[in-house]
Amino acid sequence: MQEAYKLSILYYLAFSLLLIVSAIMLFEHKIGFSFSGVLEYYTGNEEKFIPAQSVAGILKIVLPHIFVFGLFAMVLLHFLVFTNIKYKKNIIILVYTIFAIALLEIFTPFMIIGGFKFFAYVKLFSFFALLALVLYLSWLLFHSIAYD
Amino acid sequence: MSLILKGFLFFILLYILSDIFVMKSSFGISAEAVNSTLFGNEEAYIDPINESSFLEFWHTQIFFIMMILLTLSAVFIRVAKRSRAILTNALMITALVSLISLPLAFYISKFFIDIYVITYFIWHLVAIYMIFYSFWKLNARSI
Repeated sequence: MQEAYKLSILYYLAFSLLLIVSAIMLFEHKIGFSFSGVLEYYTGNEEKFIPAQSVAGILKIVLPHIFVFGLFAMVLLHFLVFTNIKYKKNIIILVYTIFAIALLEIFTPFMIIGGFKFFAYVKLFSFFALLALVLYLSWLLFHSIAYD
Repeated sequence: MSLILKGFLFFILLYILSDIFVMKSSFGISAEAVNSTLFGNEEAYIDPINESSFLEFWHTQIFFIMMILLTLSAVFIRVAKRSRAILTNALMITALVSLISLPLAFYISKFFIDIYVITYFIWHLVAIYMIFYSFWKLNARSI
């Protein structure tokens, strides 16, 4: 791969880190990282004057994220083609896991407002798992580009 | 392939030019306007932006800019030979500094507003130059 393309990928990884930071700040500010915080954000709390989310309201947030998560994951994962780690067998597991966790992260709010409170934990788990996987993938790409 | 890339570059150019006009009428593109948007202006009866809206705006900007710049740099690197590393570095670094200085201005110091505005214009100008250079190169030879 040309050096200039490596440069492009490294900057994409830097932007990805910034995107993760902004996602954490946004999640922390709007929802919070506690089980009760997630539950209150989606099902509402009369005492705290927090309105419950509707299916239409969640769909409005989910819709762009479906496209964005797919595109973001595809772009990041396709960089693996330019590295030596594409030959490793566990990469296929990483690809499946990232898309599966992204799906879980997107659609758990519907389960929460459907009355399945347990999914508040799933929402938190999938959010952090997705960020961790993106960071791990970014590290793999960075290491492969910088040192191989 | 040349025609497809030209069409794509045209749309990136449209996006970057439209971005300047949209930002002018919404967030602001001068230090004074950005300051009013972030912290309000009593004389002009402008309320400060709330934290939630600011974070949503920042989050969205990061995603769009990273995608636009990745695709633009991919085309530029393909057609340019000399100075492609310098220009790619200049584009990416100024865009990153612009995006990082935004929350620093909101949370830490108004000083970062100037850095945001300067780097915002630098990366837009570099991007526009890269688009026109790529157009010129694509016209010169069929790739």
